[in-house]
Formats: sequence, structure tokens, C-alpha cells
Amino acid sequence: MASVKISNLQKRYGNIEVLHELDLDVADGRFIVLLGPSGCGKSTLLRMIAGLESVTSGDILFDGKRMNDVHAKDRNIAMVFQNYALYAHMSVRKNMAFSMRLNKTDKKTIDEKVNWASSILGLDEYLDRLPKELSGGQRQRVAMGRAIVRDPEVFLFDEPLSNLDAKLRVQMRTEIKDLHQRLNTTTVYVTHDQIEAMTMADEVVIMRDGYIEQSGTPMEIYDHPNNLFVAQFIGSPSMNILECEVAGQGASSVAVCKGVTLPLPLERSFSTGSKIHYGIRPEHLQISKKSAMHDSAGDQSSLSATVRVVEPTGPEIHVYASLAGQDICAITRERLELQPGEEILLRPDISHVHLFDGETSNAL
Amino acid sequence: MISRGSLPRWLTSEHPLPWLFPVTSLLVVFGLYPVLYSLWLSFYKRNPATRKEKFLPSWNWNKLISDDRVWDAVEITLTYVVIALVLQLVLGMLIALLLDTDRKGFGVMRALMTLPLVVPPAVTGMMFLLMYDSSFGVISNSLYALNLLSPSAPILGTSSTALWGVIVADVWQWTPFMVLIMLAGLRALPREPFEAASIDGASGIQSFFYLTLPMMSKIIALAILIRGIDLFRIFDYVKVMTDSGPGTATETLTAYAGTVYFKTANFPYASTVALATLIVVLVVSSVFIKVFKIKF
Repeated sequence: MASVKISNLQKRYGNIEVLHELDLDVADGRFIVLLGPSGCGKSTLLRMIAGLESVTSGDILFDGKRMNDVHAKDRNIAMVFQNYALYAHMSVRKNMAFSMRLNKTDKKTIDEKVNWASSILGLDEYLDRLPKELSGGQRQRVAMGRAIVRDPEVFLFDEPLSNLDAKLRVQMRTEIKDLHQRLNTTTVYVTHDQIEAMTMADEVVIMRDGYIEQSGTPMEIYDHPNNLFVAQFIGSPSMNILECEVAGQGASSVAVCKGVTLPLPLERSFSTGSKIHYGIRPEHLQISKKSAMHDSAGDQSSLSATVRVVEPTGPEIHVYASLAGQDICAITRERLELQPGEEILLRPDISHVHLFDGETSNAL
Repeated sequence: MISRGSLPRWLTSEHPLPWLFPVTSLLVVFGLYPVLYSLWLSFYKRNPATRKEKFLPSWNWNKLISDDRVWDAVEITLTYVVIALVLQLVLGMLIALLLDTDRKGFGVMRALMTLPLVVPPAVTGMMFLLMYDSSFGVISNSLYALNLLSPSAPILGTSSTALWGVIVADVWQWTPFMVLIMLAGLRALPREPFEAASIDGASGIQSFFYLTLPMMSKIIALAILIRGIDLFRIFDYVKVMTDSGPGTATETLTAYAGTVYFKTANFPYASTVALATLIVVLVVSSVFIKVFKIKF
């Protein structure tokens, strides 16, 4: 196992710079996930770590050793590809044994390792089958088997679950995490699926347009997003963002969004008239039905909204509503009977409000 | 306008017959009929003196089996086919591997590669005839200068080298065809297994033998089949360059059939020899298809 250090890493294709002086540290045995939308450079970064793409400038270090000019075959890494990249003409056994055959491992060791990997991955009965005779999930397991028999310094996963159906994806997610806990090998995992990132990672690295936007533990990123992009990218349904202007002074300052007044955290001070993005996650909006009692009470901290769509997911209900002409989503675990067009009250949990600068989009 | 309902169904586009008719009729007229006619001819014994033909079904076939020249021709044909095929296959693959890149300028190289294919085989034969000429031919003179050959034994005039001389012309002309097939195959190979192999520790040569070759096996088999069948029909190079000589050192089956036909005018026997070529091709290619499990 090895630590991976990336410093000042840059990648250009002709005049186009796709990665901009990235710095990243992966401690030995950690599971880090590179997360970002398509085209953000996460796969390119992974392929550079693997040695499949050349480095324009900067360094890739494994345990302090510079790897830039080391060929992929000499880096002692294992990689699982999105479309499995199995050797179609070889049986499962031969696929897994391939790397060991190449470095002339003796047959007994090869058999032991293949059997060990196949028992971990539940592939015992498929060892003599060809990849085309296996289901997607089984193929993915073979690709993982091929990686683990190598006892690599670093595991690299390039969106390994994106070709699987939803149920299998959840199952394989657990298997990969379980495998990492058993083998404790340094792992770099690329995905665009934030649920995968949140559930599997020790550390999530969020990328956009060749830059690292934020890195940290999944909960750090969820609870304290650095900027608007991270805030909206992490979480499903994503964070509600309302464009507001600060009104009032000191403790009485509020955010005003198209005539709707939103409470601001008391301990913070804002200059009047400044533009802000007011962010609140759907689960931090408490939903209640609008009743005569509420009306008469004139509850100041509640916002009146109109239900557009109701999506029951089982454990919770997602309510999409319209608030002063803006779409807003709220989540409740209560079994509320809501109808489209119905008026509801939303009460934001002030301690979980995220505020971002109106111009720079950075967290305030 | 004729309404669809007024035509019998087998004449409408819903039925396979109208679609199959044009190509089937071409095959019947230009493929099946000549073969059947040859077969019919082979059942006649021709008397060269009287120019009369008599129906004796086994006569030509018996003659064929006892004709040493036929067996020599079979041997020469097989030698020719195997050597030319191996050379074209190996060279074709090597050149295709060199051209299988997206680097600048290689598109032009790939296009230029196909140039020999547009030269008519008879012209290629003439061209090599000039290059082999012992007084001014560039190939002959180079070989003399390197002391690999002596001017007293001209390439096409010596039985031990004449067949090689013809094979070189064939290889020059038809290797680009192999390159095209191999390139199409190589360009269609998925990239990921090769990346996986390089991460698994495979060198370029190991990737070639463990991945490229097995993944290309069907395409290679098909290329061998197409070129192999074509090579069995070798006629033009032999006719132009050596006219089966010296002696019968380069006399292939089709060349022998030609000789029988044009020089002795024994049409029934010439047909029998031509049919023998067809039989050899059918047997060899059927075995090949069976062994390599080629599916069309």
C-alpha cells in the first residue's frame, strides 16, 4: 500500500488545459472519491495516476517516489474500468490470473490467489466461463477480482458501477466498501454519483472544470459546502437556493427574496443591500398544512408556498412547491396528505441555513 | 399506377423473390452455368485428330488422376498459396500495426498504401519483369551487387528462383489488401482491454500476442480465406512473367488448364483441370472454415 501525492498537476490537450495545477494528498489506506459532473477532469486525473495519460506538468508521487515517467505496468496499481475491460477470449480464471501469468508467478500461487479472490467475490462457480456468459454484476466482480489478486499499492476505480442496474449498484457499493475495509488498500474512486461518493468515501474530492472545488469527509462537505456549486452538487434533492437581498440592520436583518422575508442567523452580521444566495436543504424545511390557526397566529418565520408535485419515496415524502415564483423542495417524514395546488407552510431551520456571496458564490 | 392488390404477392416487395432475382440471375448465368457446362464438357473425350467428342464420363477424370503434370501443378499451387499467404499476412499485420495510429500524416499513408491495388495484375507482372531483367532490372542488379544472385542464373529463368520471383510480385500487389483488412480490425478493437493489460503488467509484445491476435482471430481467418481462395486462382502473374516456365517450374493448376485449353485445344480436359482447381479450393476452404469456426 502507498500514499498518493499529487502536486501542481496540469494536463493539456494542445491548447486546451483540462486540469489546472491540482494538489491532492491521499494518505495510505484511505478511500477517496473524485466526484464531479461529466467533463470535470476526474477520469483524466485517475488515468494520469494510472499512467494511461501523460503528465503535462507537476508531479505524481507514490510514497514519495516520482511516478510521472514510470510506465503503467511498473506502477503496481490495479484499475477497474467502467465497462469492465475484461479479456473477452479468456475465461474468468484466466482473466484473473493474467497479471500473475505475465510476471511468471508459479501455478500453485496463481491458483491460490484466484480461488481466494473468487471466494471473496462469490465467483467460484463461474471460473471457467467466458465474460460474455456472465451478467453485468458478475462481470464487474471479475474486473474487481482481476484487480485484487494483484495485491496492488493503489486501487483505481473509474465509474465501476455506472453500467449496473440500481439494485445491483447498491449491492456492489457495499461489496467494494467491505473489500476496502478488509484489504485496506489506498483507493481512488471516480464517480459522478454523489450517493456513491457519500456512502463509500473516507474523503470526497469535488471537481469542476479541472479544478478541485472542495475536499473533505462526506459529512463535512454536506454540512459545510465551500461554495454554491458544491452545495448544489451534493445532496439529493439538491439544496434550495434563493437569490436574496439583505434588509435591515444587525440582529433584525433579514433576507428578502421577491417579497418573501427569510430569517437570517442572529450571530452573523450582514451589510444592508448586499446580494446573497440563501441555501436551505430540503430536509431542513419543516412542512405543515396551512390551517386557520396558522393564519390567525401570523407566524413570521413560516413561508407560505403552493404545492406543485408530491413524490412519496417510502421513508419520506418529497414536496416540490412554488415559493414566490421560485421552485423549492422540502422533505418530510410525516405522512402528510398533500394535494397539488394546496397551500402549505414551510419553516426553515435557521441553524442549517447556508449563505453564499451573491457575486463570488463562496460561502459566507 | 398499378395498385398493390393487382399483383400476385410473390411479385411484391413483401416477398423475398423480387429482391433475390437480380443477383440470383447473375450468379446463375455467370457462375452456375459455366460450372455445369464445364462439368458436362469433362464427361466427353475429345479426339485431337478428328476433333470429334465422345461421351465417356470417366475418361478425363482418370486421365487427371494419372497425369503427373497435374500433381506437380497441385504442389506448385499449394507452395505458391502458402508462401504468398504467409508473407502477405505477416507483412500486412506489421504494416497495419505501424499505421494504426491517429498521429498526423498517417491518414495519407493509409491512403497511399492502397495504391498497388489499383494496378492491373498483368501490368504488375510486366513491371516486375522489367525489374528482374538481368541486364538493367533494379532488383536483379541489386541482388547481383549484394552477391546474393549471379547474373548467370536470372531470377525468372532459374527453376529454383522463378516461383519466388512471381510470389514477390503477388506480395507487392496484394499485401495492401491485407493491410486494409487488418487495419479495419485493429481500429475496431476496444481500447480498454489493452489499457487493462498494460496496468496488469503486459509489454507491447505481450499485449499483441495475448490480446491483439486472439481478438483479431476471426478477422485474420476471414482474410486468409478471401486471399487464399484468390491465390489458388493465380494465373496472370505466371502467364505474363514466366508462362509457366522455365519448363513447368511455375506451372500452377490454372496455368496448366490454360495451357491445355489454348495450346492443345482439348476443351474437355482443360475443363476437368479447371474443375479440379475448384475442388481443391472447396476442400481446403471448407476444412479451414470448419477448423476456425468461421460464421458468415
